[in-house]
Amino acid sequence: MNQETAVRNDRDTTSHLPNNQIKVSARKVQVYYGDTHAIKDVDVDIEDRNVTAFIGPSGCGKSTFLRCINRMNDTIPIARVEGQILIDDEDIYDKRIDPVQLRAKVGMVFQKPNPFPKSIYDNVAYGPKIHGLAKNKSELNDIVEKSLRRAALWNEVKDRLQLPGTGLSGGQQQRLCIARAIATEPEILLMDEPCSALDPIATDQVEELIRELKGNYSVVIVTHSMQQAHRVSQKTAFFHLGNLVEYDDTETIFKNPKDERTESYITGRIG
Amino acid sequence: MTDAPATIADASASRSKGSLLEKDARTKKRNAAETRFKAYGIIAIGIGLAFLAALVFSIVRNGVPAFTQTYVTVPITLEAETLDPEGNRDPADISGVMTFAYSPLIQQGLQSALEEADVETDMSASDLTKMLSSSAENTVRQRVVSNPDLIGETEEFRLLASSRVDGYLKGRVERADLERDRNLDAAHLDIVDQLQEAGVVSRTFNMDFILGTDASDNRPEQAGIGASMLGSFFMMLVVLALALPIGVAASIYLEEFAPKNKFTDLIEVNISNLAAVPSIVFGILGLAAFIQFAGLPQSAPLVGGLVLTLMTLPTIIISTRASLKSVPPSIRDAALGVGASPMQAVFHHVLPLAAPGILTGTIIGLAQALGETAPLLLIGMVGFIASNYPEGVASGFLDPNSAMPAQIYEWAKRADPAFYERAWGGIIILLVFLLSMNLLAIILRRRFERRW
Ligand SMILES: Nc1ncnc2c1ncn2[C@@H]1O[C@H](COP(=O)(O)OP(=O)(O)OP(=O)(O)O)[C@@H](O)[C@H]1O
Ligand SMILES: [Mg+2]
Repeated sequence: MNQETAVRNDRDTTSHLPNNQIKVSARKVQVYYGDTHAIKDVDVDIEDRNVTAFIGPSGCGKSTFLRCINRMNDTIPIARVEGQILIDDEDIYDKRIDPVQLRAKVGMVFQKPNPFPKSIYDNVAYGPKIHGLAKNKSELNDIVEKSLRRAALWNEVKDRLQLPGTGLSGGQQQRLCIARAIATEPEILLMDEPCSALDPIATDQVEELIRELKGNYSVVIVTHSMQQAHRVSQKTAFFHLGNLVEYDDTETIFKNPKDERTESYITGRIG
Repeated sequence: MTDAPATIADASASRSKGSLLEKDARTKKRNAAETRFKAYGIIAIGIGLAFLAALVFSIVRNGVPAFTQTYVTVPITLEAETLDPEGNRDPADISGVMTFAYSPLIQQGLQSALEEADVETDMSASDLTKMLSSSAENTVRQRVVSNPDLIGETEEFRLLASSRVDGYLKGRVERADLERDRNLDAAHLDIVDQLQEAGVVSRTFNMDFILGTDASDNRPEQAGIGASMLGSFFMMLVVLALALPIGVAASIYLEEFAPKNKFTDLIEVNISNLAAVPSIVFGILGLAAFIQFAGLPQSAPLVGGLVLTLMTLPTIIISTRASLKSVPPSIRDAALGVGASPMQAVFHHVLPLAAPGILTGTIIGLAQALGETAPLLLIGMVGFIASNYPEGVASGFLDPNSAMPAQIYEWAKRADPAFYERAWGGIIILLVFLLSMNLLAIILRRRFERRW
């Protein structure tokens, strides 16, 4: 599988990090909402077992691009995606690909916490149940416990697993959504501003979790917080008006950006 | 920069709002407008409540008498010579004896009842029986046929009084009204007064009105709404069994799966239009499609149910779609995001959340259908005299019957004021049904929604 390193982006040569395998590779991706051209010609390689941050001003297309990776844009009737996105060398927009199967492999945490109006337990158990990941009740219990532990929520909810997930606080709900996403054992985890509704303490916990998840997953996180991108990610992509302006190691982007738009954005001059 | 402080001072002076303790002109005007608006609202509600009170009052006043009925207790000697001439108690022979053979027995019984109550009269025996319902012979005969052992005994029978006597006890009939009446005259009423004192004539709660069958024009005292209640019941079964699954399936498809194009837009517009189509149109459609084309029997609750299904479908579809729409899209995203198929997302997450709304819509649709009369006109359920109960389930669906609102309309149409009273009584029963259905809708909604 070393061929992926061969296709890696030129900019990676400056990387001081060990070169990772490429998990997602996007080429010439265009997204249109009706006549609006929301994503223009985006090429990006997302590494396995690493955290990639998408930053950029509001409306620049970060969420749109993120939703291309698990084909959530399919649910928007007017959205149209062109170009090529490969996950493990398979074109996910190929006719033979079933988006439902794809989404089991590419988990997603949404910007706004959206737990099911069911019990905490059922929220986490739902994915494993429909994908047949547990053979019996006790295996399912294990999955639920493990996922909640990893989402740093177990201690807070272990005594009330049967209570509604919607009754948790905003931060707890977001961690519940993260637990739900990792319970299905995805290989890629997409997180759209997972901390925008969280207080600093919960943010800390989620960031800690992301750092930990990095060991097994390829994590993509959209964030408006430069500090957060800096803290958790190894790679950063800067989007502007639908273009991918710059994509490089996080250190490079923050210390030594090549494009002046990137520089103005991270120093707070545009945005 | 030198005049800056002055400008600020000027600005703050002109911006001064004055004392908050005094209302300025604009505030006064605003408050007055608000007070006026509140007054209009209260007046509107008052008018509404007044109408409601008038409605309830008149329904109760006119309808409650229908729930009581006047009976005459008559001891009748069931002579064996008349009722079983052969003397062998053969059921075939006994049922061969027609009702008119019972008339003399009833006349005798009534006379002895009068004697016992010490009522003196020179009225002839056959004249006296005009106080009784013309159903009396049949009542006695049926009791004898079902129990031949009674023959030869003297039995007490509670026979229905005629509707005039009943009306007299209820205050509907006055002596003056009887001047032109061919059946009853004031002398009868004097006897009724005395008999009532002696306890022979009494007015009691009338279960037969609720459970009984309809009767022909000259026997209002015997008419009940029970048979048409069954007709309505079987119609509602048809509506529920067809409209709910079809309506919910159609709405789920349209709302969650259908592509948005001209064709589905057209369907959508048509459904909204159908909801506004007058119900009589569905009636004539039912007549053409189900009776004339498909050859289903006239006046049958099955056909009524089918017609009402057509009528209820748009209501159910519209309310189901509204409740599906009200489920936040984030729930669908969440389900799809963990890899649920669109169908799993709908059935596991969206539908349970929409269920209270769907249930409420369905019950409201059913309640509407229950009270609908116009389409039943055209398929022959109005005007049909439901004088028999259906014999079993198949007969309940297929044999001619009436329905509650059709029955009420039918009664209101008949000349005798005794029927008019029954129409009001029927309305009370219908309203009890409708109110309990609405209550059920509210309870279900509360129950399901309280879960989270
Ligand atoms: N469902 C939609 N229909 C039409 N246009 C959309 C839709 N979603 C997004 N867009 C448009 O696409 C562009 C990119 O939107 P997107 O949501 O990807 O931005 P974003 O970078 O995630 O912004 P934010 O940081 O505010 O979340 C915007 O101009 C937006 O108006
Ligand atoms: Mg966004």
